[in-house]
Amino acid sequence: MTVDPNAATQGFPGPGPAPRGPRPARYLVPALVAAAVALGLGAYGRVHDPAGTAFNLAGFSSTGAVKSWLASAAMLLALAQPVSALMLYGKLPGPAWAGGLHRWSGRAAFLIAVPVAVHCLYALGWQTYETRVMWHSVLGCFFFGAFSAKMLLLRWERLPGWLLPLVGGLVFAVLTVVWLTSALWFFRTFGVTT
Amino acid sequence: MKRPGPLLTLLAGLVLAAFLLTLNATTGTRSASSSYQEQSPSPAPVRSSQASPTPAPTPSRSGAADADYAGRTDDDAAAIAVSVRGGRAIAYFCDGRTRESWLKGDVEDDGTLRLTGEHGAKLEGTLEDGKGIDGTVEVDGTRHAFAADRAKKPSGLWRATATVRSAKIDGGWIVLKDGSQVGVVTRDGEPSPAPRIDPETGAVTVDGQRLTARPVTP
Repeated sequence: MTVDPNAATQGFPGPGPAPRGPRPARYLVPALVAAAVALGLGAYGRVHDPAGTAFNLAGFSSTGAVKSWLASAAMLLALAQPVSALMLYGKLPGPAWAGGLHRWSGRAAFLIAVPVAVHCLYALGWQTYETRVMWHSVLGCFFFGAFSAKMLLLRWERLPGWLLPLVGGLVFAVLTVVWLTSALWFFRTFGVTT
Repeated sequence: MKRPGPLLTLLAGLVLAAFLLTLNATTGTRSASSSYQEQSPSPAPVRSSQASPTPAPTPSRSGAADADYAGRTDDDAAAIAVSVRGGRAIAYFCDGRTRESWLKGDVEDDGTLRLTGEHGAKLEGTLEDGKGIDGTVEVDGTRHAFAADRAKKPSGLWRATATVRSAKIDGGWIVLKDGSQVGVVTRDGEPSPAPRIDPETGAVTVDGQRLTARPVTP
């Protein structure tokens, strides 16, 4: 019996492009997408004239307050990420739904962070007039690049065991700094207001 | 093509971002165009009479010649200065007491400016053949018409930023043609009247600290 060389192999379900494409492509594609996302956001923020203002949610005193609360909600959800990840890797005792918790808290955090980023880029743009602001601009763009890379890496099987924890940890650390330089600064400067 | 979940997550974020951006863009243009219509009847005839002596196809770079403009609002409540360089403009609105706003934006090819600043501040104006700017400025929800004439050094727009005893200082000054000055110093977000600058050197003493204000360019 002849074997179809293109038939999917059982045992380890190989990814589509992997048999043909060389191994580096698996890392190169996410890395390039990450760079493109981060640079694209930064370039948009730099080139686009800051509108100064954008839509506001009813019940909040300022767009800064809206952003700070949304960012804090994202940060809170993001805190579930390292915990649930440790459960997935068996480093912590966890329930069977730890995987679902990891996926959905991450998705929710990302989707909550998107309007914040849109507001930042549309209304304020890329700014460097202060150290805090500069790091916030840099890392805010970097975050969405790193997050895109993390999402794309998830789609490939048989990655080195250390890679996902590393990238995930990086995404989490960057988000933390972005939150520290924006929402925490806002609450400390203007008080915890709505 | 194993797991569509992560990709769907990214796509959802992209769609959400695009939706919010269109929301922003559409609401932004709607408010801008409506306010523009209010004042378009007055500058339009002026511009057409102004445009005839100068040949039409010499727009942006020569029409919006690099220059500084300074003047007062028509109600005399505040001063306004605009600095134009290479098709970009930065403007400063200041009443010398507590209200101030920095605005920036592009100069269109036909010499119209539409600048924006923090907290929804807006400036719409027309460059009158390099001699001045006529327009309106809206800060904190109040709208002022203004006329700013071409300014020669030392009149124009000055700014100084520094950190004095861990307080962040941001001062802006408009030096008018008659030598009078209008300025506001903001200490950690608290605006107050500014001390005079030396219009020759830009030297100014704020809270005992000697600072140097510099001419502002966009």
